[in-house]
Amino acid sequence: MSDVTVYTTPTCPWCTRLKNYLKEKGVDFNEVDVSTDYDSAMKMVELTGQRSVPVLTKGDQYVVGFNPDQIDRILQ
Amino acid sequence: MEVYDLVIIGAGPAGMTAGVFAIRKGLKTVIVSEDIGGQVNWTNDIENYMGFGEIDGQSLVRKFEEQVKEHRVMVKLTAVRSLKKEGELFFIRTESEETITGKTAIICSGKRPKTLNVPGEEEFRNKGVSYCSTCDGPLFRGVPVAVVGGGNSAVKSALDLAHYASEIHLFSLLPNLTADAILVERLQREGKIKTYLGHTVVEIKGGQAVEKVTVERVDTKERFEVPVQGVFVEIGLIPNTDFVDDTVERNELQEIMVDCLCRTNIPGLFAAGDVSSVPEKQIIIAAGEGAKAAIQAWEYLLKRSDASAQ
Repeated sequence: MSDVTVYTTPTCPWCTRLKNYLKEKGVDFNEVDVSTDYDSAMKMVELTGQRSVPVLTKGDQYVVGFNPDQIDRILQ
Repeated sequence: MEVYDLVIIGAGPAGMTAGVFAIRKGLKTVIVSEDIGGQVNWTNDIENYMGFGEIDGQSLVRKFEEQVKEHRVMVKLTAVRSLKKEGELFFIRTESEETITGKTAIICSGKRPKTLNVPGEEEFRNKGVSYCSTCDGPLFRGVPVAVVGGGNSAVKSALDLAHYASEIHLFSLLPNLTADAILVERLQREGKIKTYLGHTVVEIKGGQAVEKVTVERVDTKERFEVPVQGVFVEIGLIPNTDFVDDTVERNELQEIMVDCLCRTNIPGLFAAGDVSSVPEKQIIIAAGEGAKAAIQAWEYLLKRSDASAQ
């Protein structure tokens, strides 16, 4: 199981972009749809202190939003 | 030092079209952009881009991107921090600490959502304050939210949020909604949405996250608070021109001034799409302007090489 998790909503364009970006880079990830999984949504809000998607987590590091530079730094 | 014939800043419809046209003209070209697609990514249904009938924004972006890849246009995904002209060359500094050098440049950096500029907005950004109801709406299930604005985006946002939030307070600065009549009708039928005309949010308050907004009635200056956990700001767009200095002429909307050939006041620097002063902000217009700007960059280089040969 991958240590990279992506929190998304189905209607979020940046979530799709983030997922495509990871697929292009060949990065395995778990996806959590926070629109249907309320507990995970709250876990995400607690971890980041933010109510916004997409969120990418790896261990205790996270990136809010689609920011390729920051994502690359975390994935290194 | 590697010098490109053309550096394109931005990869929305204008930037990607410019890239394809530039490569076809044989220009050594690079596109530098924070993302691919720009504002089109935020658009759900597009029904006026010729040849597609109806298509959603992301699918259209994918098609643009495929065409860019087919033409082997180099794309660097990073934000631009500054653009300067020294001598005959443009130096573009990126967030990834790279300096890209070009003989010409086209700015196609589009627009971004305008901020309210009130206390609490920056502090609570992503902690309740959002500029994308399509993205973050589901995270506000069962809680009250505010939407600020009175145009199409604001009303669409309020209608979208009605699927999730317990109640929606829509604050419009103007005494009437400027959204399309069909959207206003839908709004009036939606029982969860309370509309406040001639009102504006003057402060966003909370602890760890948003808890309430202070609202002011425009005519009487009377203030009151409304408890909300989310604030969706939908008050229009501003051009992404922070990376250019004052030498590049802009209009009162901060759009980069261009003539009908997409030329700015700086020789060799062009602008296209929503960031430019071209009237009407449409995907098809941005794409057309991008094509025009790339051809103009090619002509500029041609004239310059003719001049230096004489």
